[in-house]
Amino acid sequence: MTRTSTPATLVEEIARAVTDVPGVAFLKPDLAGRLRSALATPERTSHTAAPPGVRLVRPQHPDGTWHIDIKLVAYSRTRAVDVARAARRAVTTCVASAASENATVRVTVTVTGMI
Amino acid sequence: MAGVRRHTEPPDTRSTGDEGLLAIRAAEGDEDAFAVLVQRHAPSLIRLATRLLGSRTEAEDAVQDAFISAWRRLPEFQGTSSFGTWTYRIVTNRCLNILRARKPVAPLETAGQVPAPEHAVSPARITEARDAVRELREALDLLSAEQRACWVLRELDGRPYDFIADAVGISQEAVRARVFRARRCLTQALGAWR
Amino acid sequence: MTAHTDPPNTPTDATEDERLPCGRLLSEVWTAWEDQADDPHLHECPHCGAAVHDLDQLQSAMSGLREESWDGAAPDAASLTRRVMDVVRLELRPGRPLPLGEPDEDLWVMEAVAARKLRAAAETVPGVRAGSCRLRPSPEQGEGGVEVRMEIHAPSGVALAALADDVRAQVGHAADRDLGMPVASVDIRVTDLIDSSADGQEGRD
Repeated sequence: MTRTSTPATLVEEIARAVTDVPGVAFLKPDLAGRLRSALATPERTSHTAAPPGVRLVRPQHPDGTWHIDIKLVAYSRTRAVDVARAARRAVTTCVASAASENATVRVTVTVTGMI
Repeated sequence: MAGVRRHTEPPDTRSTGDEGLLAIRAAEGDEDAFAVLVQRHAPSLIRLATRLLGSRTEAEDAVQDAFISAWRRLPEFQGTSSFGTWTYRIVTNRCLNILRARKPVAPLETAGQVPAPEHAVSPARITEARDAVRELREALDLLSAEQRACWVLRELDGRPYDFIADAVGISQEAVRARVFRARRCLTQALGAWR
Repeated sequence: MTAHTDPPNTPTDATEDERLPCGRLLSEVWTAWEDQADDPHLHECPHCGAAVHDLDQLQSAMSGLREESWDGAAPDAASLTRRVMDVVRLELRPGRPLPLGEPDEDLWVMEAVAARKLRAAAETVPGVRAGSCRLRPSPEQGEGGVEVRMEIHAPSGVALAALADDVRAQVGHAADRDLGMPVASVDIRVTDLIDSSADGQEGRD
């Protein structure tokens, strides 16, 4: 993690951090992502910016509010709320390195499936 | 064999209670419940569509499209009929549209050149009965889409007239008339061959 | 509805009805045959006999055709199901998001996911089968609980009030243990009784 993250790499960091949370099976592929993987060609996937399941809105001002929206699929043996809280913690840690000290970070986590 | 022609089976021999629960779950977005229903009904619907269309490949495509359409329409499915009857109707109508798009078909004299639809290869035991079956398969292409559908549902699938009327969306009298015309056409075609 | 059945544009004599020399209509003879009507005339009249013979020929060719579409490979339901479900999974209907945890935690679970867990919990009560499971956030703001409405089929011959209590307890327990979803109320409706005897599988439609 570096302080000079570009938007795309911060989103990727968040995606990786959430995916590493115990109990998370995968981030929810959105429709575009699923179609992409269905039609996957190497060069197409290489420059797609946002990983599936993560939406990041940076504040207008450095001290404003960050909005991060996570959609994930959890393992069935887990308790949904515990996984969602762990995911939120992982996101908050990630963003803390990029956000200013006075900024607010709002994280929304939705469990869209349990497998 | 002439006397043995009772082959009517009820549309759903399975517990309709369980079936109804699965359909409700699927309508509420439980795709696993839908998968169970698809797996359960696919064989009989593929058989139905194969009989209607004369081609296994086309039949599988038609049944696949029908199930996808069923998934999209499930939230409006009120359960006034069983899921099995409902999908039977969707498949029948899909096949009817395919048959209609195929028409007009070759006139009588070229009927012999119509390539035989796909069918399982049997042991090389060419009998007169085999020839009659092949002749019948070709003669089916002479029927109108509606005649063919009504005849297939009645004779090959063994459905009662009221069930066919419901599935095709016409009156029982119209079904009887179409089955009659189909039989008339087919007996003549077989007679001409003999 | 009229019983007259020829649509205006049906072509040719090939499919018209025909009066046999004995005075019977071909359609009548075939209908009698189909209904297995016991009509002595049919056994005696050579014209009717010939008409029925034609149909018998057709029937025997037809049974050959029916067996033909049966043999060969059995329909491959598994691969068709897979293809159908590949499309269905692109068009899921997850329902609405429902709150997890404490009020204002901004953690959610989709309705279809929660409903599946709660149905499974209801079915841990012996003999119970779960159908509709509707979940709504409680209208009372700040309470944050979810209202659960579930329809079940119950085994016959069981005290329903006690059974409903069992199901309600299992559902409430699973909402907390498996999801962490706060529940405001659990409404259980028994919509059918399952006769557990082997031959008692009556449908309700």
